[in-house]
Amino acid sequence: MNIDLSEEAFAYGREAQRALGAAGGDELVKRAEADPASRAGLVEPLLGDLGAWDLDPRGDADDLEAAAALSRAFGYWAAPYPIAERLARPAGSDGLVVVADRHPEGAVAGLDLRWTTVTLDGARGVATAVPSDARARDTAFVTALDVRSEGEADVRDVALGLVLPCWTLLGMLDRAMELTREHVLVRRQFGKPLADKQGVQFQLTDAEVERAGVAMLARYALWSVQDGRAEAVHDALALRLAVIEAAETVLRTCHLLHGAVGFCDEAALSWISRYSQPLRRLPYGVSGTGARLARSIGRDGLTGLFSEVTA
Amino acid sequence: MGAVAGALRGELRELVARHVPPDFLGAFTDDPNDLETAQRFSRTLADRSLLCIAWPKEYGGGDATVWEQTVVREEMWAHHEPRGAQYMGVNWVGPTIMRHGTDAQKRTHLPPIARGEVIWCQGFSEPDAGSDLASLRTTARRDGDGWRVTGQKVWTSYAGMAQWCFLLARTSTGERRQQGLTIFLVRMDDPAVEVRPIDCLMGPHHLNEVFITDLKVTEADVLGEVDEGWKVVQEVLAFERVGIARYARCERLLMEAPRALGDAWDELPEELHGRWARMLTHCRRARLLAYSVLHRQSEGRVRPGDAAGYRIAVTRLDQDSAEVLMDIAAHAPRESARAFRAAVADHHRYAHASTVASGSIDVQRILLARHILGTA
Repeated sequence: MNIDLSEEAFAYGREAQRALGAAGGDELVKRAEADPASRAGLVEPLLGDLGAWDLDPRGDADDLEAAAALSRAFGYWAAPYPIAERLARPAGSDGLVVVADRHPEGAVAGLDLRWTTVTLDGARGVATAVPSDARARDTAFVTALDVRSEGEADVRDVALGLVLPCWTLLGMLDRAMELTREHVLVRRQFGKPLADKQGVQFQLTDAEVERAGVAMLARYALWSVQDGRAEAVHDALALRLAVIEAAETVLRTCHLLHGAVGFCDEAALSWISRYSQPLRRLPYGVSGTGARLARSIGRDGLTGLFSEVTA
Repeated sequence: MGAVAGALRGELRELVARHVPPDFLGAFTDDPNDLETAQRFSRTLADRSLLCIAWPKEYGGGDATVWEQTVVREEMWAHHEPRGAQYMGVNWVGPTIMRHGTDAQKRTHLPPIARGEVIWCQGFSEPDAGSDLASLRTTARRDGDGWRVTGQKVWTSYAGMAQWCFLLARTSTGERRQQGLTIFLVRMDDPAVEVRPIDCLMGPHHLNEVFITDLKVTEADVLGEVDEGWKVVQEVLAFERVGIARYARCERLLMEAPRALGDAWDELPEELHGRWARMLTHCRRARLLAYSVLHRQSEGRVRPGDAAGYRIAVTRLDQDSAEVLMDIAAHAPRESARAFRAAVADHHRYAHASTVASGSIDVQRILLARHILGTA
């Protein structure tokens, strides 16, 4: 595994981030929330310009890295579109959603697309979003899925479907940290910038260690999918557990250090925080994901320096 | 890491299996055989150019890559450091002498380290100078063509068995406290040096006090420039911070747990299985962060916050995994899993020290904060 994404993928992600910024940046999610019907139209033309639909993340390792970088860029702006799910789509489908065994849901409201679903146990289905009149502000575009069973899933679908949304959440953590850094450097209390206070610094460092660690696990899990490794689902679950735990730490810290302004609609953090929820809770939150990981790896543990000890 | 590293890992495991008892828990126990095992094993590694594998061949090394060096660090720490105190000479004393030593110092000190024949200790911490190292009071006063050193060091690992000390002392007073410090390479068998062991939970021969009374040192004992020791110290600490692959021992013990517990593994509370899986994820995270630091170092793209970030992550892993392992070990059969239980208990004792060893975790946080905030 290469430690870093390829230079091309990195540059692609940066270009996507810039393009999303130019297309509205933080305003995109606000516009989508105000007018849910505009959700697709806000970003799909840009995706065409970026060549996103030409990416072949299932067939080409470089394209998979580009897909990860694009998913991360969408997270950075909390762009209101299930880009990771769309990029993970199998042939003949509009997108791939990993769902819970019971009450399948996804953040796919209002898109009029035909989804493929997979459960962690490998059940495959085809699904459409159940129409709902719930406000996007309350649901973050999550809606129930009407799933029709379609046999067994390819384990690669499960791994890919878990990993790419983690890159989106990672992008949200990138941005939350960036916003908080800027805030504590500017915001003055007791006559000094917040950043001068060691209590503030230490909270920031602990959150950054979480974010940086997840970035490495995201790279590893992506490589595991690229390499077609048998344990790719274990690696994806390990990443998912780490990233949703990191999100707890990072976003709690970022809210604390922003103070009251962090809850306000004028603060980008507030939108990132709310729109991170579907990524953190679906298909399972921390407890469910941890239990699934433990069950999945059994006595064998994760592949690593000593995996042959119990293999 | 590649096939070469994989073959090296296999070779090291074979050597450990052949030369180190399965219940070995480090060189610093009540049993003097453990120290002898470590000294003998260091020479075994040296005979194969594995002890100082990443050193240049001219100094007795193997000219290996940083990745092969990492494999050695992982395997040694995972197996309770069968090199004993030798890792200090290998990891940072030798490399620092290579960078700052005179030709004579290199000739004197590097070959014995490469052969595994000499133990070094680090004379940095003092009763009133821990994390705030620059406030140290050990003083070297000019005396003819040399100096006379007087002072007290504390928490000095391996001082009781070391032949040499990498000693930091104040030689003058500058505008800043970091100025006027000098590194001396001094013999520990000088009558002016007295070592008193400190009994502690990590073992009876680990930590010590060192009292230095009017120790005569010469120009030839100075490493680097007089009064410029602080720069050398920063390098030493940077070497030290990535020198111990703590994640490797955590991972080995976690992966061994299901086998050690046997049927009892299935009876563990589901929540404990979950914590175990979570710790394995954190092992991978710490290992990848270490690799990321090494990758950047090997490309000359070192970012000061990276090593600090890794240290924070691996320290947390060390302590969190120790707690999980102790909970798991409590369910292990007392007789058949005796070695596992002892290894876990030893890991737990050492994990307490990881927040203060090689610079406290809060110092790492300060370094990382400067990096994040751009105030470095």
